[in-house]
Amino acid sequence: MLLRRICLAALGCSFGLMTSAGVFTVLLAVGLIPRFAGRTHTGAKAPLYEDMVILGTLTGNILSVFAPYCRIAEAARRAGTPEGLWHMLGGLLLVCYGLFSGIFTGSLAMAIAEMLDSIPIFARRIGFRRGLGAAVCAMALGKAAGSFFYFYKSMFLYGG
Amino acid sequence: MENIVVYIKPKRNAEVEKEEVFLKDIASVTCSNETIKTKARALKVYQFCPNGEKRTVISALRLIELVQGLGKGIAVENVGEQDTLMKLVKAPETNGPMVWIKVAFVSLVSFFGTAFTIMAFHNDIGIRDLFGRFYEQVMGQTSGGFTALEISYSLGLAVGITLFFNHIGGRRITRDPTPIEVEMRIYEKDVDDTLIETADREEKTIDAS
Repeated sequence: MLLRRICLAALGCSFGLMTSAGVFTVLLAVGLIPRFAGRTHTGAKAPLYEDMVILGTLTGNILSVFAPYCRIAEAARRAGTPEGLWHMLGGLLLVCYGLFSGIFTGSLAMAIAEMLDSIPIFARRIGFRRGLGAAVCAMALGKAAGSFFYFYKSMFLYGG
Repeated sequence: MENIVVYIKPKRNAEVEKEEVFLKDIASVTCSNETIKTKARALKVYQFCPNGEKRTVISALRLIELVQGLGKGIAVENVGEQDTLMKLVKAPETNGPMVWIKVAFVSLVSFFGTAFTIMAFHNDIGIRDLFGRFYEQVMGQTSGGFTALEISYSLGLAVGITLFFNHIGGRRITRDPTPIEVEMRIYEKDVDDTLIETADREEKTIDAS
């Protein structure tokens, strides 16, 4: 039994190593965080951003892999946080999570589209010269509308 | 007057803080004749308009022309870039509140963004189901969801990212730059190339007359 457990641990370790290699190569290849740092002129803080990436991944990992053991609301209740206060704090946490992960996902989606050069190629094909700003706005609105509609109509129920 | 060679090495990207730009701000200069070297370094190459564009591209040919104008018999050798991007920047703010807000913003986006990414990935592959079944295959009993497999997976993930990013907190594992620092430089170089080429295409480069 112990031997099997050791085998299992070795397997788990290699799964984890390979997952991080895969996920982070994609994240880095699209160069999202350098872009953020460049836009805000805070390139000197790159190591801090890397730390945040590491911490974020680990937090997300624990919350999703050990989901049944991470009942934040119950923990808060047991710690004696008043229900009303927790509603506010939890709501704040949810809004933070939603907003910032939304920004990240939105940028990621556009960065991937850009990495594949789909937008420049398309623009060149149709001889697109002006109105790139309008096109970008339309794309952002389209994404927002699509996301809203997806949740509003509970489309996640139809997927496989 | 005998032939004197002035060597100039223009930078690719020069950030200047004053509206008057001298040759020494955008290029390194050397020459066997000290007087000519000093004169060349103090040559005014460009004047930014207070309300105009904050950045412009100057061709090395224009710099050569200016240095040659110092006197007869001066030969100029360019050992640096062909075009220089000059940017007028305010003295960089290093610790103002705005900087902290920006840093906090990018940190929050990085933290929650990657947390969401890994959660979405786990959700996509149905990791709890997968691990539960795998546990059963290996151990022959039902998984409680909190086993050696999940724990070692999390450890492996942590080790993997740390190796990948090459540092733990402020401490580097090897002396190489981290991947984000490398990407940062690549991105900056791409931006400079684009600006220089755009200026060239729009014929806005300050060239030899």
